[in-house]
Amino acid sequence: MAEDPQRNFRSVYYEKVGFRGVEEKKSLEILLKDDRLDIEKLCTFSQRFPLPSMYRTLVWKVLLGIIPPHHESHALVMKSRKEQYRDVYHALQVIRFIKDSTPQVEIFLRVHQLELGKLPHNPSFLLVKDEIFLAIAKAMEEMVEDTIDCYWLVSCFVNQLNNKYKDSLPQLPKILEQYLNLEDSRLLAHLKACSAMSKLPYNLWFKKCFAGCLPESSLQRVWDKVISGSCKIIVFVAVEILLTFKMKIIALNSAEKITQFLENIPQDNTDAIVSKAIDLWHKHCGTPVHSV
Amino acid sequence: MAQQANIGELLSMLDSPVLLVLEDITTAFRENLNSDRGPLLVNTLVDYYLEANSQQALHLLSMLQEPHDKHLLDKINEYMGKSATRLPTLSLLGHVIRRQPSWKHKLSEAPLLLSLLKCLKTDTDVVVLTTGVLVLITMLPMIPQSGKQYLHDFFGIFGRLSAWCLKNTGHVAEIYLVHLHASVYALFHRLYGMYPCNFVSFLRSHYSMKEHLETFEEVVKPMMEHVRIHPELVTGSKDHELDPRRWKRLETHDVLIECAKISLDPTEASYEDGYYSVSHQPCPRLPHRPADSTASPYISMQSSYGALTSTPYSTPRLKVSQTPGQLPQILNSQFTMLSTEPQQVTIWSPSASCGMTTPPTSPGIALEFSQTASQPYSKFFGTPGGKGTPLGTPATSPPPPCISDEFVHVSLPPAAVALPKKEDKPDAGRPSLSRQQNVINNEKTSEASGNKDSVGLLDLQDFLGGLVSYEDSVEKDREEDAISKEISEITTADAEPVVPRGGFDSPFYHPNESLSGSQKKPLTAASSVQGHSLNSEPLTSSLDKSGFEGVPETPKQAFTPIDKPWGGSNNSAGNRESRTSSIETSILTPSPCKIPAHRRMGFGSGQPSPYEHLFEVALPKTAYLFVSKKTDELLKKTKANADEECPSSTSPMEVLDRLIQQGADAHTKELNKLPLPSKSADWTHFGGSPPSDEIHTLRNQLLLLHNQLLYERFKRQQHALRNRRLLRKVIKATALEEHNAAMKDQLQLQEKDIQSLKLSLQKEQARYRQFQEEHDNVVAQLHCQIRQLQHDREEFYNQSQELQTKLEDCRNMITDLRLELKKANNKVCHTELLLSQVSQKLYNSESVQQQMEFLNRQLLVLGEVNELYLEQLQQKHADKTKEVEMMQAAFRKELAKEKFYVQQQSQRLDASQKRIVELESQLAKKDHLLLEQKKYLEDVKIQARGQLQAVESRYKAQKRITQTFELEILDLYGRLEKDSLLKKLEDEKTEAAEAAEERLDCANEGCTDSVAGYHEETIGRNGETKPLSVRGSSSSSSSELSTPEKPQNQRVGQFSTHWETSVPLEPSTSAPLTVGSLPSSKSFLGMKARELFRNKSESQCDEEGVTLNNLSDTSKPELSKDLSMEAKTPPSPDNPSPLPKNPESSVGQLHIMDYNETHHDHS
Repeated sequence: MAEDPQRNFRSVYYEKVGFRGVEEKKSLEILLKDDRLDIEKLCTFSQRFPLPSMYRTLVWKVLLGIIPPHHESHALVMKSRKEQYRDVYHALQVIRFIKDSTPQVEIFLRVHQLELGKLPHNPSFLLVKDEIFLAIAKAMEEMVEDTIDCYWLVSCFVNQLNNKYKDSLPQLPKILEQYLNLEDSRLLAHLKACSAMSKLPYNLWFKKCFAGCLPESSLQRVWDKVISGSCKIIVFVAVEILLTFKMKIIALNSAEKITQFLENIPQDNTDAIVSKAIDLWHKHCGTPVHSV
Repeated sequence: MAQQANIGELLSMLDSPVLLVLEDITTAFRENLNSDRGPLLVNTLVDYYLEANSQQALHLLSMLQEPHDKHLLDKINEYMGKSATRLPTLSLLGHVIRRQPSWKHKLSEAPLLLSLLKCLKTDTDVVVLTTGVLVLITMLPMIPQSGKQYLHDFFGIFGRLSAWCLKNTGHVAEIYLVHLHASVYALFHRLYGMYPCNFVSFLRSHYSMKEHLETFEEVVKPMMEHVRIHPELVTGSKDHELDPRRWKRLETHDVLIECAKISLDPTEASYEDGYYSVSHQPCPRLPHRPADSTASPYISMQSSYGALTSTPYSTPRLKVSQTPGQLPQILNSQFTMLSTEPQQVTIWSPSASCGMTTPPTSPGIALEFSQTASQPYSKFFGTPGGKGTPLGTPATSPPPPCISDEFVHVSLPPAAVALPKKEDKPDAGRPSLSRQQNVINNEKTSEASGNKDSVGLLDLQDFLGGLVSYEDSVEKDREEDAISKEISEITTADAEPVVPRGGFDSPFYHPNESLSGSQKKPLTAASSVQGHSLNSEPLTSSLDKSGFEGVPETPKQAFTPIDKPWGGSNNSAGNRESRTSSIETSILTPSPCKIPAHRRMGFGSGQPSPYEHLFEVALPKTAYLFVSKKTDELLKKTKANADEECPSSTSPMEVLDRLIQQGADAHTKELNKLPLPSKSADWTHFGGSPPSDEIHTLRNQLLLLHNQLLYERFKRQQHALRNRRLLRKVIKATALEEHNAAMKDQLQLQEKDIQSLKLSLQKEQARYRQFQEEHDNVVAQLHCQIRQLQHDREEFYNQSQELQTKLEDCRNMITDLRLELKKANNKVCHTELLLSQVSQKLYNSESVQQQMEFLNRQLLVLGEVNELYLEQLQQKHADKTKEVEMMQAAFRKELAKEKFYVQQQSQRLDASQKRIVELESQLAKKDHLLLEQKKYLEDVKIQARGQLQAVESRYKAQKRITQTFELEILDLYGRLEKDSLLKKLEDEKTEAAEAAEERLDCANEGCTDSVAGYHEETIGRNGETKPLSVRGSSSSSSSELSTPEKPQNQRVGQFSTHWETSVPLEPSTSAPLTVGSLPSSKSFLGMKARELFRNKSESQCDEEGVTLNNLSDTSKPELSKDLSMEAKTPPSPDNPSPLPKNPESSVGQLHIMDYNETHHDHS
């Protein structure tokens, strides 16, 4: 990157001084300029820095494999994606599974189910999986404007969660306990004393990836990391939530109250929580190699 | 009253002769006294005593304790007022006071004292006065402080009584006056001793009046002769001597001694401490004095010791004796000395007087230094001073009497000299000997002493012999001197112990004298006579008046009373007979003297005994000292008797003593011849009183004497007290001295140790120094060695370096030599080579020479031939030239032709080479191009894969859609059939079943398992349950059917493009294309490839591209037709399997359509 004249030569030092994200946008643009996008680099970038919102959708699409790394095929691929969605949508309409009044999220769910060939006979019956999908889709709907993009992102994100992180997601509660012990053993002891450790909202945190728990502005920064391949960040967000509301948690004695409180945490300073969680994650898992 | 009676009874029984009753009574009285605090008992006791003069009552009264004192004093005071009972009351008071009761301090406050003083002031009875004065004198030391308020009363009493003594106003008996005088004398002493300043001022004021002047001259002045100047007169003042602090630390006996100290009266005086030593020390010092001709320093020396004490007799005599001591013959010297003595006496009188006044001290000291012979002695005295002086002083103090005796034979001074020496030198033998003698002497009576003395003398003589032998080694002069001293020493030693025994006995001296005389030559005997006469003369004169008068004939005789005894003793020795007679004549009454005589005897022999044995046990030396002291005192007392010849100068005490002695003598005489008429004559000797008075007088005298005795006894007790204390001090001092000596010894030992240690230290230091030096030497040596070795080493090092350099040089030389050797070898080789070449050449040249020779020969031969041919030629020269020329021309033409041909060939070669280079460059370009193409193709493949994935997913979605549709359709069918079931019958039903089976088959073939499962389920439902399918809505089947077909067609259309691209490639692989196979121009790949090729190799590709286009154009319509035919044939969903396979195969063909083949073609 040093030979690139467009880049500010000071960018290397900004980080050392402590500024972050000064030149990120530019470096991301440079990354995106490459024909045949380098997915590895994009992953690293996304893990290191928060993505600029204007490129977020594009990067996510690329990272989730919705569009190929070649720019030329983008239009074509997107066209086919659109058509696919429309086809499915049309088919659903034809078989009268959805109506015009059906909410967008449910449409996504149905489309997704149809694509997987798992369209249920009874549309009113919702599985846990479907609830997760709905939550994620709802969050994603807020983040992305275009419906087709949104559908694909949701679909791929859920697929990634179900496939790539299938093995690691069940491990997360243990990891949470481990890091909580490192950070604040007293809190952990309290939680254990209340036997609240097993009753923490793991479903909300780990399976829904905090969809519905955090506001979208904060959530998308978490998802940046999740999409770019690290599911551990979820653990640190959870740890940070516990640490932030430590006093309140300690004040609460029963596991039910704690769970109830954690499921409805206040939304005011979630940005700070996420920033701290990312710092914590960097601290414990190390900063990804600066390969940009 | 009963008690009163009881007391009366007790009193009556008090004087019971039975001892047990007496004891009971005394205890009863004591108990009564203890229990009863009232004055009754005391009063009765006093009354009883006054009535019966009971000793027991007196005893009881004198033992009275504190609470009764007031009653007693009151009672005594009461009786004191009555003149009748005054005398016994006074004696009672005296008794009580002498007991020293614990309440004695109250005396001063009691009215009794006032009444006593009043009595003394007013009374006219001599007996009462004497008794009162004695009581007062006894009382004074007890109340020194509180009595000061009555000081003027005391003084007044003194003035009155002294006047009384002189005037005898009451016209009482002389003998009373003697007593009174004695008591006044004692009072004088007491007052002077206690309150000197006040007393002197009183005397001054009192006797300054004319009416008292006579009294002073007659009475007081002689008294003053017997006292020395009180130190308080110098240092103290009137107020100071009344200061309570002065008296506080003094006890009664201390006060007594204080008073006795200032007394010069031998009977009164006590020589303790400073006074004593001052007065007597000159005696031992005498021997130190040189026997020089100059006598003035000598005297001054003496005077330096004490102004008052100059031993007049000893001094000249000493001198005399010393001077002859230097002469070889003692006897001669003594003789001469004796002869010269009188002269010397006259000569030295002024100097002695000088010495008495103010003697210069310095010459004495100088003289002391100048003396040679006696110096050792002086040293001798100096060193043992601790022991010697205390011993020496008492030892020398007795000599005076003996001196007087020996004086006669002139051996005294040496004796005085030797005495201290003896004590020091033969320390072990001498004192013991003398002491032994002393003890023996004490045992003996005075009469039997003569034998004893002789024995002692014999012993001494033996000892002397030993001493003489001891002294043999000494120088001759000194030897003789020593001998003379020893002799005299012996005599003194004898005299000394003898004296106490003698007491006042004159016979005692006689043997002494005779012994000393016998010891010496007849000459001395004569001289002794002479001495007697000589001595007596000055003595008498001196006795007349003391040194104050300054009689020129007796200058040596000091005015000190201490010296007087000598004179007295001399007199007693010499004038033995005359004295007794004179005494007899002088004594007033023999009868009263009896008791004193007895007393004296007790005094002389009895008194020392209670202490002596103690002293002997405790401290031999001190005992000796004590005894000698005691004897001295006794001696003095005895000598006091001799002073009767000069009553004016003698003290009243002496007079009294003498009186008593005379009385004793008279008494003895009276006992012998009691009814003698001389008795009356005796009695009337003093013109005394009639016999009727005589008894009364005698009684009074007895009383007075008793009083006196009691007083003296009291004094004695006080002295005893003091003696005890002093003894303790002496013991302590000696113990300390011994301790000191031991310490000194230890110190010396330690000093010796220290010295030895120092010596050893020095030795060690010397050794150490030696070692150090050795060590230093060794070190220096080693250093030298090291230096040498280092030097050697350096040399060796240098040598080795030199050798190394040499070695290197040698090596260099060797290498050089080797190089040279090599060079030489090379040269040799080279020269060998050259040699071989040369030999070759030589060989060649030889062969050449041979050839040359051969050729020369040939040449010769040819020459000859030539000549021959020339001859022939000349003969045939004409016709042959034309033909040759023709042939030459032909050959030239031929050569030119060939040259042209060669040129042509080389040009062709160049051209072909150029062509080869060109082609190679083209090949490289093509390779590069191919690589790029490959990359691009990869890229494109990935791109295509992405697109394909999208398409695939779309396809899958499509499939899902169709499946759902099918499901829907089936559902609908199920419903339709259900409906038709009601209408149609079973045959229709079978048709529906067939259709269902068909459907099932196709589903089994094309669908995924899940879909298939689903189908089966639906089929199962179709066959068994119908209500599920009823759900389907009433939708037109045509529309449903058309929709699935439409996308299918579209897809086929899409695939056809692929098909188009893939199909024409098949023939291209088989067709023999010269310039690589390119994808069809219509396909995406082909377009791209064409573009690429156009860019890179235009010239060639253009031509080939044309052919390609032609080929593709020709094949395309056919293929498209075929494809369309095929695509149309399987429109039904029954056969979906070939369709999905096609794209796969096309993809595989795309893969196969690799550059490998084209590449091969190109190459």
